Amino acid sequence: MIQLFHVTKEYPGDGPALQDVSLEIDKGEFVFLTGASGAGKSTLLKLIFCDEPATAGQLLLFGKNVAKISASAIPFVRRNIGVVFQDFKLLANRTVAENVALPLEVRGLAQKEIRRKVRGLLRSVGLEHRADKFPPSLSGGEQQRVAVARALAPDPALLLADEPTGNLDPERTLEVMDLLYGANARGTTVVVATHDRSLLERYKKRVVVLQAGRLLSDGDSVRRAVS
Amino acid sequence: MALRPLRAARRALESMARGPYVALVGAATVFVAVFATGLFAGALGGAERLLAAWAGEVRVSVYLAPGADLERARAAAAALAPGRRVEAVPSEVALSRLADSLGEQAHVLEGVGPGALPDAVEIEAPGLSLEGARELAARLRSVPGADDVDYGTAWLEGVERFVSRARTAAVFLFGALALATAILVSNTLRLAVFARREEIEIMKLVGATDAFVATPFLLEGLLQGLLGAGAAVLALAGVHGLLVPRLAAAVSAARALTLADTLPPALVVALVGGGAGIGLLGSALSVARALRRT
Ligand SMILES: Nc1ncnc2c1ncn2[C@@H]1O[C@H](COP(=O)(O)OP(=O)(O)O)[C@@H](O)[C@H]1O
Ligand SMILES: [Mg+2]
Repeated sequence: MIQLFHVTKEYPGDGPALQDVSLEIDKGEFVFLTGASGAGKSTLLKLIFCDEPATAGQLLLFGKNVAKISASAIPFVRRNIGVVFQDFKLLANRTVAENVALPLEVRGLAQKEIRRKVRGLLRSVGLEHRADKFPPSLSGGEQQRVAVARALAPDPALLLADEPTGNLDPERTLEVMDLLYGANARGTTVVVATHDRSLLERYKKRVVVLQAGRLLSDGDSVRRAVS
Repeated sequence: MALRPLRAARRALESMARGPYVALVGAATVFVAVFATGLFAGALGGAERLLAAWAGEVRVSVYLAPGADLERARAAAAALAPGRRVEAVPSEVALSRLADSLGEQAHVLEGVGPGALPDAVEIEAPGLSLEGARELAARLRSVPGADDVDYGTAWLEGVERFVSRARTAAVFLFGALALATAILVSNTLRLAVFARREEIEIMKLVGATDAFVATPFLLEGLLQGLLGAGAAVLALAGVHGLLVPRLAAAVSAARALTLADTLPPALVVALVGGGAGIGLLGSALSVARALRRT
Protein backbone atom coordinates (compact mmCIF):
# COMPACT_ATOMS: atom_id res chain seq x y z
CA MET A 1 0.00 0.00 0.00
CA ILE A 2 2.86 2.38 0.89
CA GLN A 3 6.40 1.85 -0.37
CA LEU A 4 9.36 4.15 0.31
CA PHE A 5 12.66 3.61 -1.48
CA HIS A 6 15.60 5.63 -0.14
CA VAL A 7 13.40 8.62 0.55
CA THR A 8 15.10 11.83 1.63
CA LYS A 9 13.32 15.05 2.57
CA GLU A 10 15.02 18.37 3.09
CA TYR A 11 13.19 21.55 3.95
CA PRO A 12 14.72 24.63 2.36
CA GLY A 13 17.55 26.03 4.47
CA ASP A 14 17.55 23.06 6.84
CA GLY A 15 19.30 19.73 7.25
CA PRO A 16 17.45 16.61 6.08
CA ALA A 17 14.25 15.86 8.04
CA LEU A 18 14.26 12.35 6.54
CA GLN A 19 17.31 10.61 5.19
CA ASP A 20 17.41 7.50 3.02
CA VAL A 21 14.30 5.92 4.48
CA SER A 22 13.10 2.66 2.91
CA LEU A 23 9.89 1.19 4.22
CA GLU A 24 6.92 -0.86 3.12
CA ILE A 25 3.49 -0.87 4.70
CA ASP A 26 0.98 -3.44 3.51
CA LYS A 27 -2.77 -3.28 3.21
CA GLY A 28 -4.49 -3.92 6.53
CA GLU A 29 -1.44 -3.24 8.69
CA PHE A 30 -1.36 -1.23 11.89
CA VAL A 31 1.95 0.60 12.20
CA PHE A 32 3.31 2.84 14.93
CA LEU A 33 5.79 5.46 13.82
CA THR A 34 7.86 6.57 16.76
CA GLY A 35 10.98 8.49 17.71
CA ALA A 36 11.95 11.62 19.60
CA SER A 37 10.55 15.02 18.77
CA GLY A 38 12.10 16.20 15.49
CA ALA A 39 12.88 12.65 14.35
CA GLY A 40 10.80 13.12 11.18
CA LYS A 41 7.52 11.39 12.02
CA SER A 42 5.28 14.24 10.90
CA THR A 43 7.38 14.75 7.81
CA LEU A 44 6.94 11.12 6.81
CA LEU A 45 3.17 11.37 7.21
CA LYS A 46 3.16 14.59 5.15
CA LEU A 47 4.96 12.84 2.32
CA ILE A 48 2.44 10.01 2.37
CA PHE A 49 -0.42 12.54 2.41
CA CYS A 50 1.09 14.33 -0.62
CA ASP A 51 1.42 17.47 1.48
CA GLU A 52 5.15 17.74 0.83
CA PRO A 53 7.23 16.32 -2.03
CA ALA A 54 10.21 14.07 -1.35
CA THR A 55 13.59 15.60 -2.17
CA ALA A 56 15.04 12.30 -3.34
CA GLY A 57 13.99 8.66 -3.56
CA GLN A 58 10.69 7.08 -4.56
CA LEU A 59 7.38 6.96 -2.76
CA LEU A 60 4.66 4.67 -4.10
CA LEU A 61 1.17 5.11 -2.75
CA PHE A 62 -1.53 2.59 -3.72
CA GLY A 63 1.00 1.43 -6.33
CA LYS A 64 1.38 4.90 -7.87
CA ASN A 65 4.52 7.01 -7.91
CA VAL A 66 3.57 10.07 -5.86
CA ALA A 67 6.05 12.28 -7.71
CA LYS A 68 4.06 11.67 -10.89
CA ILE A 69 0.69 12.64 -9.44
CA SER A 70 -0.38 16.04 -10.79
CA ALA A 71 -1.45 18.75 -8.37
CA SER A 72 -5.03 18.57 -9.62
CA ALA A 73 -5.16 14.82 -8.96
CA ILE A 74 -3.94 15.08 -5.35
CA PRO A 75 -7.43 15.71 -3.88
CA PHE A 76 -8.61 12.48 -5.45
CA VAL A 77 -5.67 10.54 -4.00
CA ARG A 78 -6.41 12.08 -0.60
CA ARG A 79 -9.95 10.79 -0.75
CA ASN A 80 -8.52 7.36 0.02
CA ILE A 81 -6.75 8.69 3.11
CA GLY A 82 -8.18 9.81 6.43
CA VAL A 83 -6.06 12.08 8.66
CA VAL A 84 -6.13 12.81 12.38
CA PHE A 85 -3.96 15.43 14.09
CA GLN A 86 -2.90 16.21 17.62
CA ASP A 87 -4.80 19.52 17.48
CA PHE A 88 -7.97 17.92 16.01
CA LYS A 89 -8.34 20.50 13.20
CA LEU A 90 -12.09 20.79 13.60
CA LEU A 91 -14.00 23.83 12.37
CA ALA A 92 -15.08 25.70 15.48
CA ASN A 93 -18.03 27.40 13.81
CA ARG A 94 -19.62 24.19 12.52
CA THR A 95 -21.47 21.65 14.54
CA VAL A 96 -20.01 18.24 15.30
CA ALA A 97 -22.34 16.69 12.68
CA GLU A 98 -21.29 19.27 10.06
CA ASN A 99 -17.62 18.60 10.76
CA VAL A 100 -18.08 14.88 10.29
CA ALA A 101 -20.11 15.53 7.13
CA LEU A 102 -17.37 17.63 5.51
CA PRO A 103 -15.51 14.85 3.63
CA LEU A 104 -18.85 13.51 2.42
CA GLU A 105 -19.92 16.97 1.20
CA VAL A 106 -16.63 17.24 -0.65
CA ARG A 107 -17.38 13.94 -2.38
CA GLY A 108 -20.79 15.19 -3.43
CA LEU A 109 -22.91 12.63 -1.59
CA ALA A 110 -26.67 13.24 -1.34
CA GLN A 111 -27.76 15.10 1.78
CA LYS A 112 -29.93 12.22 2.93
CA GLU A 113 -27.06 9.79 2.58
CA ILE A 114 -24.76 12.19 4.42
CA ARG A 115 -27.17 12.53 7.35
CA ARG A 116 -27.57 8.78 7.60
CA LYS A 117 -23.83 8.14 7.52
CA VAL A 118 -23.03 10.92 10.00
CA ARG A 119 -25.54 9.52 12.47
CA GLY A 120 -23.93 6.10 12.24
CA LEU A 121 -20.41 7.53 12.58
CA LEU A 122 -21.29 9.60 15.65
CA ARG A 123 -22.91 6.53 17.20
CA SER A 124 -19.74 4.52 16.57
CA VAL A 125 -17.62 7.07 18.46
CA GLY A 126 -20.26 7.48 21.19
CA LEU A 127 -21.12 11.12 20.43
CA GLU A 128 -24.65 11.00 19.02
CA HIS A 129 -25.80 13.30 21.81
CA ARG A 130 -23.20 15.91 20.80
CA ALA A 131 -24.23 16.11 17.11
CA ASP A 132 -25.50 19.70 17.28
CA LYS A 133 -22.84 21.06 19.62
CA PHE A 134 -19.88 23.11 18.47
CA PRO A 135 -16.40 21.57 18.95
CA PRO A 136 -15.08 24.16 21.46
CA SER A 137 -17.81 23.09 23.89
CA LEU A 138 -16.50 19.50 23.83
CA SER A 139 -13.67 17.97 25.88
CA GLY A 140 -10.39 17.20 24.13
CA GLY A 141 -11.16 13.50 24.05
CA GLU A 142 -14.56 14.14 22.53
CA GLN A 143 -13.09 16.48 19.92
CA GLN A 144 -10.56 13.89 18.89
CA ARG A 145 -13.31 11.28 18.57
CA VAL A 146 -15.14 13.69 16.26
CA ALA A 147 -11.94 14.04 14.23
CA VAL A 148 -11.61 10.25 14.01
CA ALA A 149 -15.25 9.97 12.91
CA ARG A 150 -14.58 12.58 10.22
CA ALA A 151 -11.42 10.78 9.05
CA LEU A 152 -13.31 7.48 8.82
CA ALA A 153 -16.46 8.97 7.26
CA PRO A 154 -15.61 8.12 3.65
CA ASP A 155 -14.31 4.62 4.55
CA PRO A 156 -10.70 5.42 3.61
CA ALA A 157 -8.28 2.63 2.73
CA LEU A 158 -5.62 4.36 4.81
CA LEU A 159 -5.77 6.29 8.08
CA LEU A 160 -2.87 8.52 9.13
CA ALA A 161 -2.77 9.83 12.69
CA ASP A 162 -0.11 12.33 13.84
CA GLU A 163 0.20 12.25 17.65
CA PRO A 164 -3.57 11.71 17.91
CA THR A 165 -3.40 11.34 21.69
CA GLY A 166 -0.76 13.98 22.36
CA ASN A 167 -3.25 16.34 24.00
CA LEU A 168 -5.26 13.72 25.89
CA ASP A 169 -5.10 12.20 29.36
CA PRO A 170 -4.46 8.42 29.57
CA GLU A 171 -8.13 7.46 29.72
CA ARG A 172 -9.14 9.56 26.66
CA THR A 173 -6.03 8.26 24.93
CA LEU A 174 -7.27 4.70 25.19
CA GLU A 175 -10.75 5.68 23.92
CA VAL A 176 -9.24 7.25 20.81
CA MET A 177 -6.73 4.43 20.28
CA ASP A 178 -9.51 1.89 20.51
CA LEU A 179 -11.32 3.66 17.68
CA LEU A 180 -8.21 3.49 15.49
CA TYR A 181 -7.73 -0.12 16.47
CA GLY A 182 -11.36 -0.86 15.57
CA ALA A 183 -10.98 0.77 12.19
CA ASN A 184 -7.95 -1.39 11.53
CA ALA A 185 -9.89 -4.48 12.59
CA ARG A 186 -12.48 -3.59 9.92
CA GLY A 187 -9.77 -3.49 7.25
CA THR A 188 -8.36 0.05 7.22
CA THR A 189 -4.58 0.37 7.10
CA VAL A 190 -3.55 2.59 10.04
CA VAL A 191 -0.32 4.50 10.60
CA VAL A 192 0.01 6.26 13.96
CA ALA A 193 2.88 8.62 14.74
CA THR A 194 3.42 8.82 18.49
CA HIS A 195 6.16 9.23 21.04
CA ASP A 196 3.99 7.66 23.74
CA ARG A 197 5.85 4.47 24.62
CA SER A 198 2.99 3.06 26.69
CA LEU A 199 0.89 2.79 23.52
CA LEU A 200 3.54 0.73 21.77
CA GLU A 201 3.66 -1.62 24.71
CA ARG A 202 -0.08 -1.87 25.06
CA TYR A 203 -0.99 -2.55 21.45
CA LYS A 204 1.98 -4.72 20.44
CA LYS A 205 1.90 -3.76 16.78
CA ARG A 206 4.61 -3.15 14.27
CA VAL A 207 6.82 -0.24 15.34
CA VAL A 208 8.92 1.86 12.98
CA VAL A 209 11.49 3.94 14.85
CA LEU A 210 12.99 7.10 13.37
CA GLN A 211 15.99 8.90 14.77
CA ALA A 212 17.15 12.21 13.37
CA GLY A 213 15.50 11.42 10.05
CA ARG A 214 16.92 7.92 9.70
CA LEU A 215 15.14 4.61 10.06
CA LEU A 216 16.52 3.16 13.29
CA SER A 217 14.50 -0.03 13.53
CA ASP A 218 11.42 -1.67 12.14
CA GLY A 219 9.61 -4.57 13.81
CA ASP A 220 7.73 -5.43 16.95
CA SER A 221 10.70 -5.69 19.30
CA VAL A 222 9.92 -2.29 20.71
CA ARG A 223 11.74 -2.46 23.96
CA ARG A 224 15.05 -3.20 22.34
CA ALA A 225 14.56 -0.41 19.79
CA VAL A 226 13.73 2.40 22.15
CA SER A 227 16.00 1.50 25.00
CA MET B 1 -16.75 15.31 -10.28
CA ALA B 2 -19.21 17.88 -11.53
CA LEU B 3 -19.51 20.94 -9.33
CA ARG B 4 -22.99 21.42 -8.02
CA PRO B 5 -23.84 25.12 -8.42
CA LEU B 6 -26.84 24.96 -6.11
CA ARG B 7 -24.81 23.34 -3.36
CA ALA B 8 -22.00 25.82 -3.89
CA ALA B 9 -24.55 28.63 -3.61
CA ARG B 10 -25.93 27.08 -0.44
CA ARG B 11 -22.44 26.83 1.01
CA ALA B 12 -21.77 30.45 0.05
CA LEU B 13 -24.93 31.64 1.80
CA GLU B 14 -24.18 29.52 4.85
CA SER B 15 -20.70 30.90 5.21
CA MET B 16 -21.93 34.47 4.75
CA ALA B 17 -24.45 33.83 7.51
CA ARG B 18 -21.64 32.39 9.64
CA GLY B 19 -19.34 35.33 9.04
CA PRO B 20 -21.62 38.29 8.34
CA TYR B 21 -18.96 40.77 9.41
CA VAL B 22 -16.52 39.74 6.70
CA ALA B 23 -19.35 39.70 4.14
CA LEU B 24 -20.48 43.16 5.24
CA VAL B 25 -16.98 44.61 5.03
CA GLY B 26 -16.72 43.17 1.52
CA ALA B 27 -20.03 44.69 0.47
CA ALA B 28 -19.12 48.00 2.12
CA THR B 29 -15.84 48.09 0.24
CA VAL B 30 -17.60 47.68 -3.05
CA PHE B 31 -20.19 50.24 -1.94
CA VAL B 32 -17.50 52.87 -1.39
CA ALA B 33 -15.80 52.19 -4.71
CA VAL B 34 -19.04 52.18 -6.71
CA PHE B 35 -20.49 55.17 -4.88
CA ALA B 36 -17.38 57.26 -5.52
CA THR B 37 -17.31 56.35 -9.19
CA GLY B 38 -21.05 56.92 -9.56
CA LEU B 39 -20.87 60.29 -7.85
CA PHE B 40 -18.15 61.41 -10.19
CA ALA B 41 -19.89 60.10 -13.30
CA GLY B 42 -23.27 61.44 -12.17
CA ALA B 43 -21.96 64.93 -11.39
CA LEU B 44 -20.20 65.13 -14.74
CA GLY B 45 -23.29 63.82 -16.53
CA GLY B 46 -25.47 66.43 -14.84
CA ALA B 47 -23.03 69.24 -15.54
CA GLU B 48 -22.73 68.23 -19.16
CA ARG B 49 -26.49 68.13 -19.47
CA LEU B 50 -26.75 71.66 -18.05
CA LEU B 51 -24.02 72.99 -20.31
CA ALA B 52 -25.60 71.36 -23.34
CA ALA B 53 -28.95 72.93 -22.47
CA TRP B 54 -27.28 76.29 -22.20
CA ALA B 55 -25.32 75.85 -25.41
CA GLY B 56 -28.57 75.35 -27.29
CA GLU B 57 -29.88 78.75 -26.38
CA VAL B 58 -27.02 81.23 -26.27
CA ARG B 59 -28.41 84.64 -27.08
CA VAL B 60 -26.47 87.84 -26.64
CA SER B 61 -28.44 91.09 -26.53
CA VAL B 62 -26.91 94.51 -27.22
CA TYR B 63 -29.13 97.23 -25.74
CA LEU B 64 -28.74 100.62 -27.39
CA ALA B 65 -28.68 104.03 -25.81
CA PRO B 66 -31.66 106.26 -26.64
CA GLY B 67 -31.32 107.84 -30.05
CA ALA B 68 -28.73 105.38 -31.35
CA ASP B 69 -29.02 104.23 -34.97
CA LEU B 70 -30.50 100.73 -34.84
CA GLU B 71 -29.63 99.78 -38.43
CA ARG B 72 -26.03 100.94 -38.04
CA ALA B 73 -25.71 99.01 -34.80
CA ARG B 74 -27.13 95.87 -36.46
CA ALA B 75 -24.60 96.13 -39.29
CA ALA B 76 -21.74 96.64 -36.83
CA ALA B 77 -22.90 93.65 -34.73
CA ALA B 78 -23.17 91.48 -37.84
CA ALA B 79 -19.58 92.42 -38.71
CA LEU B 80 -18.43 91.59 -35.15
CA ALA B 81 -20.29 88.24 -35.09
CA PRO B 82 -19.78 86.84 -38.57
CA GLY B 83 -21.97 83.89 -39.47
CA ARG B 84 -24.41 84.46 -36.61
CA ARG B 85 -28.06 85.29 -36.90
CA VAL B 86 -28.24 88.98 -36.05
CA GLU B 87 -31.60 90.67 -35.61
CA ALA B 88 -32.54 94.30 -35.03
CA VAL B 89 -35.23 94.51 -32.38
CA PRO B 90 -36.81 97.96 -32.21
CA SER B 91 -38.34 99.11 -28.95
CA GLU B 92 -41.95 98.38 -30.05
CA VAL B 93 -41.08 94.83 -31.15
CA ALA B 94 -39.28 94.21 -27.86
CA LEU B 95 -42.34 95.45 -26.00
CA SER B 96 -44.75 93.24 -27.92
CA ARG B 97 -42.44 90.21 -27.43
CA LEU B 98 -42.35 90.96 -23.75
CA ALA B 99 -46.15 91.17 -23.74
CA ASP B 100 -46.32 87.82 -25.54
CA SER B 101 -43.98 86.21 -23.08
CA LEU B 102 -45.99 87.55 -20.18
CA GLY B 103 -49.19 86.03 -21.60
CA GLU B 104 -52.07 86.57 -19.15
CA GLN B 105 -50.03 88.99 -17.12
CA ALA B 106 -49.57 91.31 -20.10
CA HIS B 107 -51.87 93.83 -18.40
CA VAL B 108 -48.97 94.93 -16.19
CA LEU B 109 -47.58 96.61 -19.29
CA GLU B 110 -50.66 98.85 -19.66
CA GLY B 111 -49.61 102.46 -19.77
CA VAL B 112 -46.04 101.61 -20.61
CA GLY B 113 -45.00 103.90 -23.41
CA PRO B 114 -43.48 102.72 -26.71
CA GLY B 115 -40.04 104.08 -25.76
CA ALA B 116 -39.87 102.34 -22.40
CA LEU B 117 -37.65 99.53 -23.67
CA PRO B 118 -34.43 100.32 -25.51
CA ASP B 119 -33.83 99.33 -29.11
CA ALA B 120 -31.68 96.22 -29.20
CA VAL B 121 -29.66 93.98 -31.47
CA GLU B 122 -29.92 90.26 -30.69
CA ILE B 123 -27.29 87.75 -31.74
CA GLU B 124 -28.05 84.03 -31.60
CA ALA B 125 -25.00 81.84 -31.17
CA PRO B 126 -26.13 78.24 -30.50
CA GLY B 127 -23.41 75.90 -29.30
CA LEU B 128 -21.10 78.68 -28.16
CA SER B 129 -19.03 77.98 -25.08
CA LEU B 130 -19.32 80.15 -22.00
CA GLU B 131 -15.89 81.58 -22.66
CA GLY B 132 -16.84 82.29 -26.29
CA ALA B 133 -20.04 84.01 -25.17
CA ARG B 134 -18.09 86.22 -22.81
CA GLU B 135 -15.62 87.19 -25.52
CA LEU B 136 -18.40 87.88 -28.02
CA ALA B 137 -20.19 90.06 -25.48
CA ALA B 138 -16.99 92.02 -24.87
CA ARG B 139 -16.52 92.58 -28.57
CA LEU B 140 -20.11 93.69 -29.01
CA ARG B 141 -19.58 96.48 -26.50
CA SER B 142 -17.88 98.40 -29.33
CA VAL B 143 -21.12 98.45 -31.35
CA PRO B 144 -21.89 102.15 -31.94
CA GLY B 145 -24.57 103.29 -29.50
CA ALA B 146 -24.29 100.17 -27.32
CA ASP B 147 -25.38 100.84 -23.79
CA ASP B 148 -25.32 97.35 -22.27
CA VAL B 149 -24.55 93.82 -23.43
CA ASP B 150 -26.29 90.86 -21.79
CA TYR B 151 -25.68 87.18 -22.34
CA GLY B 152 -27.90 85.64 -19.68
CA THR B 153 -25.20 85.95 -17.06
CA ALA B 154 -27.16 85.10 -13.94
CA TRP B 155 -27.70 81.37 -14.34
CA LEU B 156 -24.72 80.92 -16.59
CA GLU B 157 -22.41 82.03 -13.82
CA GLY B 158 -24.29 79.61 -11.60
CA VAL B 159 -23.59 76.70 -13.93
CA GLU B 160 -19.98 77.68 -14.21
CA ARG B 161 -19.54 77.91 -10.49
CA PHE B 162 -21.29 74.56 -10.08
CA VAL B 163 -19.12 72.87 -12.69
CA SER B 164 -15.88 74.19 -11.26
CA ARG B 165 -16.90 73.32 -7.72
CA ALA B 166 -18.03 69.87 -8.83
CA ARG B 167 -14.71 69.37 -10.51
CA THR B 168 -12.75 70.38 -7.41
CA ALA B 169 -15.01 68.28 -5.21
CA ALA B 170 -14.76 65.32 -7.58
CA VAL B 171 -10.98 65.47 -7.64
CA PHE B 172 -10.83 65.77 -3.88
CA LEU B 173 -13.47 63.12 -3.27
CA PHE B 174 -11.96 60.83 -5.81
CA GLY B 175 -8.53 61.04 -4.26
CA ALA B 176 -9.79 60.52 -0.73
CA LEU B 177 -12.16 57.73 -1.67
CA ALA B 178 -9.63 55.96 -3.87
CA LEU B 179 -7.28 55.87 -0.89
CA ALA B 180 -10.02 54.66 1.44
CA THR B 181 -11.12 52.06 -1.08
CA ALA B 182 -7.61 50.76 -1.58
CA ILE B 183 -7.11 50.40 2.18
CA LEU B 184 -10.51 48.77 2.62
CA VAL B 185 -10.02 46.37 -0.28
CA SER B 186 -6.65 45.17 0.94
CA ASN B 187 -7.97 44.80 4.47
CA THR B 188 -10.99 42.92 3.27
CA LEU B 189 -8.83 40.54 1.31
CA ARG B 190 -6.57 39.91 4.25
CA LEU B 191 -9.57 39.52 6.51
CA ALA B 192 -11.27 37.08 4.14
CA VAL B 193 -8.13 35.00 3.80
CA PHE B 194 -7.48 35.03 7.50
CA ALA B 195 -11.06 34.20 8.45
CA ARG B 196 -11.10 31.20 6.14
CA ARG B 197 -7.52 29.97 6.14
CA GLU B 198 -8.33 27.22 8.57
CA GLU B 199 -11.48 26.27 6.70
CA ILE B 200 -9.61 26.08 3.41
CA GLU B 201 -6.85 23.99 4.98
CA ILE B 202 -9.32 21.55 6.46
CA MET B 203 -11.34 21.33 3.24
CA LYS B 204 -8.18 20.30 1.45
CA LEU B 205 -7.32 17.78 4.17
CA VAL B 206 -10.60 16.00 3.55
CA GLY B 207 -9.98 15.83 -0.20
CA ALA B 208 -11.65 18.96 -1.59
CA THR B 209 -10.53 20.11 -5.04
CA ASP B 210 -9.45 23.74 -5.49
CA ALA B 211 -12.60 24.36 -7.51
CA PHE B 212 -14.78 22.98 -4.72
CA VAL B 213 -13.06 25.27 -2.23
CA ALA B 214 -13.09 28.31 -4.50
CA THR B 215 -16.62 28.25 -5.92
CA PRO B 216 -18.50 29.40 -2.81
CA PHE B 217 -15.88 32.10 -2.23
CA LEU B 218 -16.38 33.40 -5.75
CA LEU B 219 -20.17 33.34 -5.37
CA GLU B 220 -19.81 35.17 -2.08
CA GLY B 221 -17.62 37.81 -3.69
CA LEU B 222 -20.10 38.18 -6.53
CA LEU B 223 -22.98 38.54 -4.11
CA GLN B 224 -21.11 41.04 -1.94
CA GLY B 225 -20.27 43.02 -5.07
CA LEU B 226 -23.89 43.03 -6.22
CA LEU B 227 -25.13 44.02 -2.76
CA GLY B 228 -22.55 46.80 -2.37
CA ALA B 229 -23.13 48.13 -5.87
CA GLY B 230 -26.92 47.90 -5.53
CA ALA B 231 -26.80 49.87 -2.29
CA ALA B 232 -24.45 52.40 -3.90
CA VAL B 233 -26.86 52.93 -6.83
CA LEU B 234 -29.73 53.49 -4.38
CA ALA B 235 -27.56 55.94 -2.42
CA LEU B 236 -26.69 57.78 -5.65
CA ALA B 237 -30.38 58.08 -6.50
CA GLY B 238 -30.83 59.47 -2.99
CA VAL B 239 -28.05 62.00 -3.53
CA HIS B 240 -29.73 63.05 -6.78
CA GLY B 241 -33.03 63.51 -4.95
CA LEU B 242 -31.35 65.63 -2.26
CA LEU B 243 -29.05 67.72 -4.44
CA VAL B 244 -31.13 68.56 -7.52
CA PRO B 245 -33.81 70.65 -5.73
CA ARG B 246 -31.04 72.56 -3.94
CA LEU B 247 -29.19 73.09 -7.18
CA ALA B 248 -32.41 74.15 -8.90
CA ALA B 249 -32.78 76.92 -6.33
CA ALA B 250 -29.47 78.37 -7.53
CA VAL B 251 -29.65 77.41 -11.18
CA SER B 252 -33.15 77.21 -12.61
CA ALA B 253 -32.10 75.01 -15.53
CA ALA B 254 -31.15 72.30 -13.01
CA ARG B 255 -34.88 71.77 -12.50
CA ALA B 256 -34.85 69.92 -15.82
CA LEU B 257 -32.21 67.46 -14.57
CA THR B 258 -33.72 64.01 -14.31
CA LEU B 259 -32.39 60.80 -12.85
CA ALA B 260 -31.79 59.72 -16.45
CA ASP B 261 -29.24 62.58 -16.76
CA THR B 262 -27.23 61.91 -13.61
CA LEU B 263 -27.84 58.15 -13.34
CA PRO B 264 -28.65 56.84 -16.82
CA PRO B 265 -29.44 53.11 -17.19
CA ALA B 266 -26.12 52.49 -18.92
CA LEU B 267 -24.29 53.96 -15.90
CA VAL B 268 -26.36 51.82 -13.52
CA VAL B 269 -25.50 48.71 -15.52
CA ALA B 270 -21.81 49.68 -15.58
CA LEU B 271 -21.75 50.40 -11.83
CA VAL B 272 -23.51 47.19 -10.83
CA GLY B 273 -21.41 45.18 -13.29
CA GLY B 274 -18.26 46.86 -12.02
CA GLY B 275 -19.24 46.18 -8.41
CA ALA B 276 -19.88 42.52 -9.17
CA GLY B 277 -16.53 42.44 -10.97
CA ILE B 278 -14.68 43.95 -8.00
CA GLY B 279 -16.33 41.43 -5.69
CA LEU B 280 -15.46 38.53 -7.94
CA LEU B 281 -11.89 39.72 -8.46
CA GLY B 282 -11.37 40.43 -4.78
CA SER B 283 -12.54 36.99 -3.73
CA ALA B 284 -10.63 35.30 -6.57
CA LEU B 285 -7.41 36.98 -5.42
CA SER B 286 -7.98 36.13 -1.78
CA VAL B 287 -8.92 32.51 -2.41
CA ALA B 288 -6.03 32.00 -4.83
CA ARG B 289 -3.69 33.35 -2.20
CA ALA B 290 -5.14 31.04 0.44
CA LEU B 291 -5.10 28.00 -1.85
CA ARG B 292 -1.46 28.56 -2.67
CA ARG B 293 -0.59 28.78 0.99
CA THR B 294 -2.16 25.48 2.07
N1 LIG C 1 7.89 23.09 7.40
C1 LIG C 1 9.14 22.89 7.82
N2 LIG C 1 10.14 23.72 7.43
C2 LIG C 1 11.38 23.54 7.85
N3 LIG C 1 11.77 22.55 8.66
C3 LIG C 1 10.84 21.68 9.09
C4 LIG C 1 9.47 21.82 8.70
N4 LIG C 1 8.77 20.83 9.29
C5 LIG C 1 9.66 20.11 10.00
N5 LIG C 1 10.90 20.62 9.89
C6 LIG C 1 12.11 20.07 10.50
O1 LIG C 1 12.22 18.73 10.11
C7 LIG C 1 12.64 17.93 11.19
C8 LIG C 1 11.62 16.82 11.45
O2 LIG C 1 10.42 17.40 11.91
P1 LIG C 1 9.10 16.57 12.14
O3 LIG C 1 8.86 15.74 10.94
O4 LIG C 1 8.03 17.52 12.51
O5 LIG C 1 9.48 15.65 13.36
P2 LIG C 1 8.53 14.93 14.42
O6 LIG C 1 7.15 14.93 13.91
O7 LIG C 1 9.12 13.57 14.56
O8 LIG C 1 8.67 15.70 15.69
C9 LIG C 1 12.82 18.85 12.37
O9 LIG C 1 14.18 19.16 12.47
C10 LIG C 1 12.03 20.06 12.01
O10 LIG C 1 12.61 21.20 12.56
MG1 LIG D 1 5.41 15.73 14.72
